[in-house]
Amino acid sequence: MTKLSLQKVSVAFGGLKALEDVTMSVPAGEIRGVIGPNGAGKTTLLNVVTGVNQPDTGDVQLDGASIRGLKTSQIAARGLGRTFQTSKMFKGMTVLENVMTGLHGFLKAEPWTAALNFKRVRDEERDAAAKSRAILDFVGMRQFEDYDASDLSFGQQRVIEIARALIGEPKVLLLDEPAVGLSAVRVDELDRLLRRIRDEKGVTIVMIEHVVQLVMGVCDRITVLNSGRVIAEGGAEDVARHPAVVEAYLGRAIGAAAAAGAGHA
Amino acid sequence: MRLPLPRRAVLAAAVIGFAVLPPAGANPYFIYIANLGLVYVLLAIGLNMLIGYAGQLAFANAALFGIGAYATGLLRVDHGLPFFLAFPAGVAVATAIGVVIALPALRLRGLYLALASIAFAQFCLWAFVHWERVTYGAGGVRLPRLSFAPLPVSVEVGIYYLTLGLVVLMSWLAWNMLRSRVGRALVALRESEVAASALAIDLTRYKAYAFGVSAMFAGVAGGLFSALLGIVTPETFDLYQVVSHFAMVVVGGIGSLWGAIIGAALLVGLQEVLRAFRELQEIAFGALILFTVLFMPSGLIAFIKRFASGWDEPLRRTEGDR
Repeated sequence: MTKLSLQKVSVAFGGLKALEDVTMSVPAGEIRGVIGPNGAGKTTLLNVVTGVNQPDTGDVQLDGASIRGLKTSQIAARGLGRTFQTSKMFKGMTVLENVMTGLHGFLKAEPWTAALNFKRVRDEERDAAAKSRAILDFVGMRQFEDYDASDLSFGQQRVIEIARALIGEPKVLLLDEPAVGLSAVRVDELDRLLRRIRDEKGVTIVMIEHVVQLVMGVCDRITVLNSGRVIAEGGAEDVARHPAVVEAYLGRAIGAAAAAGAGHA
Repeated sequence: MRLPLPRRAVLAAAVIGFAVLPPAGANPYFIYIANLGLVYVLLAIGLNMLIGYAGQLAFANAALFGIGAYATGLLRVDHGLPFFLAFPAGVAVATAIGVVIALPALRLRGLYLALASIAFAQFCLWAFVHWERVTYGAGGVRLPRLSFAPLPVSVEVGIYYLTLGLVVLMSWLAWNMLRSRVGRALVALRESEVAASALAIDLTRYKAYAFGVSAMFAGVAGGLFSALLGIVTPETFDLYQVVSHFAMVVVGGIGSLWGAIIGAALLVGLQEVLRAFRELQEIAFGALILFTVLFMPSGLIAFIKRFASGWDEPLRRTEGDR
């Protein structure tokens, strides 16, 4: 069963083709990495999936249904969770309140029912808090539930943001460079957390990532973009050896460095 | 060491304090000032929902306050509606206009929203003065005297208790709203629109809610204000009004329900103390805003929270609060 698929998606900004005929499909239960050099189209791909940009041609499907033309909040309601490169914790809210915000689409309160303190609003709030505590337990951050977002370290904020996305029971969790700015130890923790999310929660994960340690270690498959096109796709080993990847992504820089190194030696 | 001054006890004491003013024989002027303070509490709570919680820097509050006052007053004068029909109708008008101005505001952010909403406030002021066929122009519109018969209370006392009751009711409504998913969605909107929409929060809908709720509070305040004064005049709803609402929210504590209440009570008191010197009022308000922004950016409520326990509230964990 395919959880996320792009079919012949093209996006152009003026004359610049940010994505060209991109086709990829991520089956259920997979951790998929999307990598590529700067300008390869990773951010555009993310924007197309989240509804920030619309594809000029082609289609994007989430859990078998097209999400083309939907607003970001509608796509989120259909089961796309995501995190951001930079911290987007809500300041002023506690960690618990932050995570509870992730349940927004599951709750029913409207200003009038909430204002009148209807029993069903009180009940859903209690359930939401319990559910949020459970997810904080799952990611090992329960002890911080009363902290303000800004009291936490960068790495802790990232984990809370993952919890906040995860509590919405996403079909696909989209992570935008989750390891950026993390120490090696934190990257290992993140690696383990992502595997647990896949194995215990059954969530399909797509991550856009630069940190090679994480991508190569945790991803079941990797899609490589270059100049808006998919140039390779496969397991970590295959991709690393793929000639097009070596040339386009790693090849020239490493080749040049190796050549320079050899020259000195 | 924090004083055991739990919020519940302080609030109960405040409500009882206000409630016993008339039977305790407070003079009519004092009751009028207390009533005015309560009206401003409604204005400050409404504005804080929009600016402090939802983060929409809009200054249309004074205009909506005026619209509530004019709508209530004119429905009584021109259409002969009794106050208890004209008042809810006036609130409905203010709320509807609040939601309508949210539509263009949905596309504006930050400074541009501030400018557009100030333009709206000035336009309303202009309309109150110059749309004479409807608003009776610069001289304002004099309202018939209210009557609370068959209740055995004078008009002043009747309006006073009506206001007090509505302040208690609407503070409770606001508090409930804030501790539900609605409050969280508003704060999410303030902190990051892109992150809010990634959590399935419909930005358009929640901005409209924020504008509508704050307009409703302003409308209720306006209807009560018209009854309290017995006359509605355009210059009441000028830029000074805009600034004073803003000052109440900032001084009390932006993004804090209790802060808004404290700010309104304090500033109405200050305004009355300085009643004889109008220029001094404006300088004092300006100085107070400046002082708060520089030295107490989380407002008086942060100060209170530091010295008294039991004042925690949802959606507010700022540095100054601990």
